[in-house]
Amino acid sequence: MKTVRKSIFPEAEDTWASIAARELTDTSQEDAVAKIQSWNLHVFARRAPDDDAPRAGNPILPSDVIFLEAPLTA
Amino acid sequence: MLDMIIKNGQIIDGTGASAYNADVAIKDGKIVEVGQIDQPAAREVDANGLVVSPGFIDPHTHFDAQLLWDGAAKPAIEHGVTTIVPGNCSLSLAPLKAEHRMKLVGMFNQIEEMPHIAFEEGVEWNWETFDEFVQRIKQDLMINVAPLVGHSVLRLWVMGQASMHRQADETEIADMQKLLRECLDAGAIGLSTSFVDMDERLQPVPSRYATPHELDALCEVLKEYDRILQVVHEFFDTDLTIARIDQLADLSRKHDITTTLSPLFVNADNFDGVDRIMSRIDEQMDAGARVWPQVQTRPIDISFCFAIPSLLFMRLRTWYSVIRFGTVESIVAAFKDKDQRAKMVAEAQPMMKLWQGLILRQVKTEANQQYVGKTLTQIAESRGTDALNVMIDLSLEEDLDAHFLAADMGHNNDAKVGSLLTHPNVMIGASDGGAHILSFSTYGDTGYLFSRFVRETPTMSLEAAVKKVTADPAEIWGIQDRGLLKPGYAADITIFDAKTIDRGEEYYVQDVPGDGYRYVRDSIGVNTVVIGGDIAYTHAEGYTDAANGQIIGGRA
Repeated sequence: MKTVRKSIFPEAEDTWASIAARELTDTSQEDAVAKIQSWNLHVFARRAPDDDAPRAGNPILPSDVIFLEAPLTA
Repeated sequence: MLDMIIKNGQIIDGTGASAYNADVAIKDGKIVEVGQIDQPAAREVDANGLVVSPGFIDPHTHFDAQLLWDGAAKPAIEHGVTTIVPGNCSLSLAPLKAEHRMKLVGMFNQIEEMPHIAFEEGVEWNWETFDEFVQRIKQDLMINVAPLVGHSVLRLWVMGQASMHRQADETEIADMQKLLRECLDAGAIGLSTSFVDMDERLQPVPSRYATPHELDALCEVLKEYDRILQVVHEFFDTDLTIARIDQLADLSRKHDITTTLSPLFVNADNFDGVDRIMSRIDEQMDAGARVWPQVQTRPIDISFCFAIPSLLFMRLRTWYSVIRFGTVESIVAAFKDKDQRAKMVAEAQPMMKLWQGLILRQVKTEANQQYVGKTLTQIAESRGTDALNVMIDLSLEEDLDAHFLAADMGHNNDAKVGSLLTHPNVMIGASDGGAHILSFSTYGDTGYLFSRFVRETPTMSLEAAVKKVTADPAEIWGIQDRGLLKPGYAADITIFDAKTIDRGEEYYVQDVPGDGYRYVRDSIGVNTVVIGGDIAYTHAEGYTDAANGQIIGGRA
């Protein structure tokens, strides 16, 4: 099959930081988080739960697709 | 003696085979013969000059609520539809504990625009389980119903409030599996889930808090029953759609189940994206997966008036906050407030091209009838203002009862849409019948298929079009003994004029419980609709009191 944009499903309690640490091991944490956020605007632009809500501040849902690279056509 | 004979029709049997002239004999709700028939019958229908085809199947609807007060799911039947699939997009009305009723009403209101008052005045809440719901809608059922059970309501039943903010543990997943089995035993044709929908708080619906592991576990149950998984995916993004296709393909191969995702739209800016999506579908189908994208026939258009929140304003924060929870009085006050109006006009200015193209479609005052059918650009020119301000002015003059049409907002390139509709790996669907009732009419997609893509463009043969809305969806969804004109099959039959079949003009009608409104379309060219061996509708006399609709639960 043709190569498609690399993606994962988040693991339990995943955050931007935990995904970055696990998936982009050759990149500094700060850069890795920034890159992953920029590749996943469909999640990053989502309003995160309020501070007093469960999953406070974390917009990532268990069913989300998280891309690990930029669009292949870019 | 036969119960009914349909004489001298042009038979298009749903297989895609060429049309031929013959009679159809019906007995005990079944087709007993197709050919030259001389037996006597209690009733004879003359189909001379008309097409006789299997009844159409609409695989993507949200008629769940309407079925509680209207067993015909009007106006679906008059458009030739004899079987509908409600419960799509993770939302069904069962199983549902009493304490969650208002939550689900909120979701139906937010996602499908079904007014709260319709539930209050049109619904007697006398069910909790899926079986009880099925028994409830079976009373007075005229149309066949193949109901999906929604993933969000499974979670709500098992997890309660927690379904709206966390993943399930193994015990809860096992409970959901058990509950799904009960629903499938009671007649559910499959499971629906959503990766995109928001609830009434504008928070993700419960199904979006499910892990892939949870969905996989539910697909294990679908495998036991050979039932289907329906998904509404991130249809606005090509790469996300492809990722979902791959996810569904893996589930399909692992569990040997059929999956379908909807909708797939063609817009001016995504031709390449649609090609990439279909290329991936073809690859996955070739690799043994069953992943069927649903494509609707009609272009996207949206009608609105300011008395009702419209999808069109969701991205304009000030407008949406005024409209979403406002009353007529508060919205009028906002439009009349100089500062508030200025703020709203400024916010909507970047979308001026959209406002300029809007068509005024309905008003109540005599003075403004002269403008009906004209664009806001034309009206604005005659009044010496701009389209945005004339939209507000007209709304104020009509006490917000001025209706505007945003036509051709996408999915309107006939060549590209036609190439999808004829694609062997595409299912025609995604009508959304019964949903978005305050934004557009979701009825008449079958008529539009024949008028636009058989007669006018033309893109496909009459026989191919009939197959696409009869035998193909029956096979994909596991709807047994329907979709073909063949002895032994259910006598669900649509008789129509191939030269005129079409959808009528959209109009606004007050026929929803609680004096509510919706946009509908009448049918054109559909002569007679037979369901379960009885006439359910004729063009001449309208709906009958036949109530032969069945609950169809998929492959045995």
